[in-house]
Amino acid sequence: MGYFAESFAELYNADGWIDMGMFIGAGSSAAGWWTVIASVMLIAVLAKGNADEQEHYK
Amino acid sequence: MEDQILALTAELAAVKSAAQVTNTMFAEAYYYLTIPLMVLIHAGFLLYEMGATRVKNVLSSGTKNLLAFAFTIVTFYLFGWWFYWALPTFPYDLASGAGYMEISGIEYASAIALPWGDSAQYMGPNMADHASGVFWGAFALFAATTASIASGALIERIQTVGFVICAIVLGSFAWVVAAAWGWHADGWLVTEFGFHDFGAAGLVHAVAGFFALGILINLGPRVGKFNADGSANHIAGHNMPLTVTGLMLIIVGFFGFLMACIILPGEGWSWYADQGTTIYGTPMTLSALAFNVCLAASGGIIGAWIITKDPFWMMSGCLAGIISVASGLDIYFGSTVIVIAMVAGMILKPCADWLEGFGIDDAVGCVTVHGTIGLFGVVMLGVLGSGAPGLGAFAPEDTVAISLFGQIVGAIVMFLLGFVPGYIVSWLVHKAGMLRIPDAVQIKGLDAVKVPAQAYPESMVSPNSDS
Repeated sequence: MGYFAESFAELYNADGWIDMGMFIGAGSSAAGWWTVIASVMLIAVLAKGNADEQEHYK
Repeated sequence: MEDQILALTAELAAVKSAAQVTNTMFAEAYYYLTIPLMVLIHAGFLLYEMGATRVKNVLSSGTKNLLAFAFTIVTFYLFGWWFYWALPTFPYDLASGAGYMEISGIEYASAIALPWGDSAQYMGPNMADHASGVFWGAFALFAATTASIASGALIERIQTVGFVICAIVLGSFAWVVAAAWGWHADGWLVTEFGFHDFGAAGLVHAVAGFFALGILINLGPRVGKFNADGSANHIAGHNMPLTVTGLMLIIVGFFGFLMACIILPGEGWSWYADQGTTIYGTPMTLSALAFNVCLAASGGIIGAWIITKDPFWMMSGCLAGIISVASGLDIYFGSTVIVIAMVAGMILKPCADWLEGFGIDDAVGCVTVHGTIGLFGVVMLGVLGSGAPGLGAFAPEDTVAISLFGQIVGAIVMFLLGFVPGYIVSWLVHKAGMLRIPDAVQIKGLDAVKVPAQAYPESMVSPNSDS
């Protein structure tokens, strides 16, 4: 993983900070993969939650 | 002399730069603070809903309400925000291209509102972006509000996950489409019909209220609500003070909600350098809100009191008073607001009773307070505000003005955007066996069956619970 910059010196100019993501994985495909993982987890949680709920009603 | 001019020029540039920094930080803080204020709406709905529930179901209602908040916000991040920017011109432009202001369309939305690819830089921490996060946050809370609105109507017999699925469709799709069409300077309801809904009476309240109605039809009433002859029984909640206090908290949150509907000046995304506006670029001030929201809340309470004498309906009237004038909070005079809000408070309970006559068990009057009064407010603006310009000074000359016809068209669209998705998604959930809690479980009490915690000490049990 790691961070995309070792120093912020080059990312600051007369106009201020450069307009770009400052999160871990910015500028790479990491954001997309985290979104996929989060989406899959949400769907899995709903499926498990529903299975548990139906069990309660039996 | 030349040196002095150069020095003064440099000083002026420094002052302008410092002023811009102050403006930017103020704008960011302004919208950021609307978010916790709107969380108070959810604190209010949580108390309101749990108070309106019987003891045997109180934690189950709380669980459902909390999940509506959480799932709506998460899914609004994943795809709801994209719909808002992508759909303003659709279906007038089937390709969903950019509108006149060029801040809409699929291409634009994909550049700023998807949590992957290049647009991800505007969906997370960004070194230079002081706007995207706070705007997204405010809209996410609007989305969660729609889900919380619908939640109260369905208490004590809807399954948790089935409800969450409905809440996601409402909060991250149905109301978002309404906002794209009627709450965006490129929205076709605005550009083609002059639709005006400053405070979201139609696109938040009416959509959520009628979405709830669509669900209620498939869900059916609580066990014991109706007798064999069709007459209705009153099912009292376990804590009226909790409910009434919750409603007052919702009102507090409304101030944040409506504050977030103002576009501040002086930023790259502002309509003007020196004046605040509505989302349509028309004139708006916080002072206008201060006059009209306070008066609307009071008018609604007074109107409901004279009809019902019941604090529950008085606080519902407070909510209805604000909703009834929300569309035109920017252009109504204070005394006009008092009249409209009082009328809204007066018609509230008769409208709720009328709906109950059709066998609809709306446990908290949600369909009436938000749906019926929301549409009443949208149409009233058409009656009283016809001729007011629909967009600000930047708009093309042939911009459509506010009209009764345009507001009625908007009201019909809002009704359909709520009711149709609500009915369809709840029908599908019902077919999957995930909508209605079995009657035997309702009679026993939901908390005893599916919540591993107790709301109150063991000695305090519901008189109509088997548990």
